[in-house]
Amino acid sequence: MKYNLELIKNKRKIISFSTFLILLSLLGILYSTFNTSYKKPINLGMDFVGGNELRIERVCEEECSNLSPDSVLENLREISSNKNFINNIKLQFQNKNKLISIRTPYLSIEESNNLINNLDNIIGPLNYESKDSRLIGPKLGKRLLTNCVTSLLVSLFAISLYITIRFDKKYALFALLALFHDLLIVFGIFSWLGIILSVEVNSLFAVSLLTIAGYSVNDTVVIFDRIRENLKSKEDGYNETIQLSVNESFRRTTFTSITTLIPLLSIILFGSYSLFWFSLALSLGIIVGSYSSILLAPSLLLKD
Amino acid sequence: MKRRQGWLFFIIFLLTLSVYLLINYPLQLGLDLQGGSQLTLQIIKEEGKVTSDELEAVNSVIDKRVNNLGVSESNLQTLGGDQLILELPGEQNPLVASRVLGKTALLEFRTQKEGTSTDLKTLQLLRLSIKELIEQYSFEEKNQNNDNFLKVIQDDLEDIEQELNYSSTSNDLYGKLIEIKKYVDKEITNLFIKTDLSGKDLINAGRRQEQTNSNWEVLLTFSNSGGEKFAEITKSIAGTNQLLAIILDGESISEASVGNQFASTGITGGSATISGNFSAENARELEVQLKGGSLPLPIEIVETNTIGALLGSKNILKSLYAAISGLIFVGIFMIFNYRILGFVSVLSLVLYGFFNLALYSLIPVTLTLPGISGLILSIGMAVDANILIFERIREELYDGNTLTRSIDSGFQRANSSIVDGHITTLLSCFVLFLLGTNFVKGFAATLGIGVLISLFTALNCSKTILRFFTTYQSLRQKNLYLPKNNFSN
Repeated sequence: MKYNLELIKNKRKIISFSTFLILLSLLGILYSTFNTSYKKPINLGMDFVGGNELRIERVCEEECSNLSPDSVLENLREISSNKNFINNIKLQFQNKNKLISIRTPYLSIEESNNLINNLDNIIGPLNYESKDSRLIGPKLGKRLLTNCVTSLLVSLFAISLYITIRFDKKYALFALLALFHDLLIVFGIFSWLGIILSVEVNSLFAVSLLTIAGYSVNDTVVIFDRIRENLKSKEDGYNETIQLSVNESFRRTTFTSITTLIPLLSIILFGSYSLFWFSLALSLGIIVGSYSSILLAPSLLLKD
Repeated sequence: MKRRQGWLFFIIFLLTLSVYLLINYPLQLGLDLQGGSQLTLQIIKEEGKVTSDELEAVNSVIDKRVNNLGVSESNLQTLGGDQLILELPGEQNPLVASRVLGKTALLEFRTQKEGTSTDLKTLQLLRLSIKELIEQYSFEEKNQNNDNFLKVIQDDLEDIEQELNYSSTSNDLYGKLIEIKKYVDKEITNLFIKTDLSGKDLINAGRRQEQTNSNWEVLLTFSNSGGEKFAEITKSIAGTNQLLAIILDGESISEASVGNQFASTGITGGSATISGNFSAENARELEVQLKGGSLPLPIEIVETNTIGALLGSKNILKSLYAAISGLIFVGIFMIFNYRILGFVSVLSLVLYGFFNLALYSLIPVTLTLPGISGLILSIGMAVDANILIFERIREELYDGNTLTRSIDSGFQRANSSIVDGHITTLLSCFVLFLLGTNFVKGFAATLGIGVLISLFTALNCSKTILRFFTTYQSLRQKNLYLPKNNFSN
């Protein structure tokens, strides 16, 4: 089967589409920075700001009774000694009222134990075997954030260095442009998710950005290699050779993306909830990365 | 051909070895898979960096305390130069551990300044009333009697503040109570002069129930020189109205007079008891802290993760479903598109899985949720290399080359771009491993190991298996390698 992507004809469309996506991402980032309660480019999760997250299941005979979060909070307020955190508590019921998920500002282990005991009194009995509790101090959060940003910058620098050494200037520039395009769009999508659905990002999001960076560059490198190889041997025009190279590697690039997406989709469908957003970020990154490797980066190489 | 056969036996040998390893050295599961608690302890240093000696010292004190607590199968490791990670598997409550570990446990013996008896008496009385207020507050809070009690406590507190000539700055009542108590403790400590006897002079600590009531007391045993110092100190204040205070982390836990009968020799024998109305639990905690010695630098618990055992086993199951379904669907995709070649890649994938897991138990790598996601993700990346090769082989076949030649040059020509492509992923893994948290390290380790192993399985194993297949005449028809029967020749 031969593929025939009309890269030369559609150059403008492709570049406009990418520009549109980038502007949309920037808009999300700006909106998130200035117009949300958290005033950050992206909704930073507990890993970065500190806090207490608790998920625990109720023990119910058959179906768990319907409870309103507000009344539970009201009860909690009455019996808790520390009124301070009760005002900043978020409480949700999930999974047919069975699973309780709670977010509060940072608590000590002692305070968190008290909270669980109080909860047990109000909506118990609770199944302690199903407990998932995370307490992160604000200091550690700040440190994690610095760590993540540093690792992102360091690895972006390392990848840029690698590409500059491996390719000549023009190719390196466009490969990096494609890379930043991918990262920016994934970041932008999560900015919007934060604004609309209050999705938070944690340290695994930084990991997914790093993995996307490695993956996206990998894809672009393969296509650029093909272009260089063909430019040396083929006698067609410059633009035509680029288009041909893209079509030759189209199957390979989409197939590798599909085989990487399949395991990610199985994590999204069957894996633990803590890996859900992580796998989603990776999947989005791989989709955007394949698009930019196949369509955007080679289009940038085309001459007018 | 001979050489390939050698590889085949080598691969079979490796597979057997992996299975053997996995049976005899089971995989280590992280706490998110087996349930348990994980505490991150941050060493606090005001100026400069924590040196490796200091880290070592803190580590050994914490280690002793954990051991003395009798926590089973705990695991303590250092992280990033100034943090320690303590793992408590199973359903062990991290509360006790956090109380015992978080304290510096700096024990001091101080003698009272001359002429401060009246001041001390006033402060002792104030300390008693503030303690009572705190107890009252907790009691009333628990029983939700009525809101009037807040007012009463508030008034009492204000009286104390007036007497102290100090006003608290905390927002809520409880915070105020604690703040005032700390202030009183500090004032009391200030009435005493440091001596050269400290927790360092202890060689052991113990506890026992007091004979007269149900309270507990803590016994201290000094070293030889410590015993001498103790005798010296007690001798100097024996028979005077100066008291000896035992101070733990800036809070005086006991003030006692030394009788006139010790005026000539001091208290000899090298031991002392602290009886400060300890409950059994408090006495045990103090004992553990004193046995482990004081921390050279204060620590703070900055992170606590607790995961129930049931949730852990659910996580294992979910990960297993995800991994197996991922493997199956990738296999279907490969066989559909590449026929026999796809089957070969599935076989190498299975090998890949075994080698990976065997390496985890060999290194050992503790398997966590992010680690598993790294493994599952690397399944996809391991197939990448196969796809690159197979695409080349297809091209060669379409160009009319023979099967053997196509396979050979397919592997050869794809080699460089495979190695190349993996470098960027390895770069990311490397950075993640160096800078990441414990959580992130698991992902970086499994993904990195996976990428390296996939180089071996995708290049060597699949080539060997493919060569083995092509020795059978019936498996050498080109249409078994191409889905569409449209190649020339």
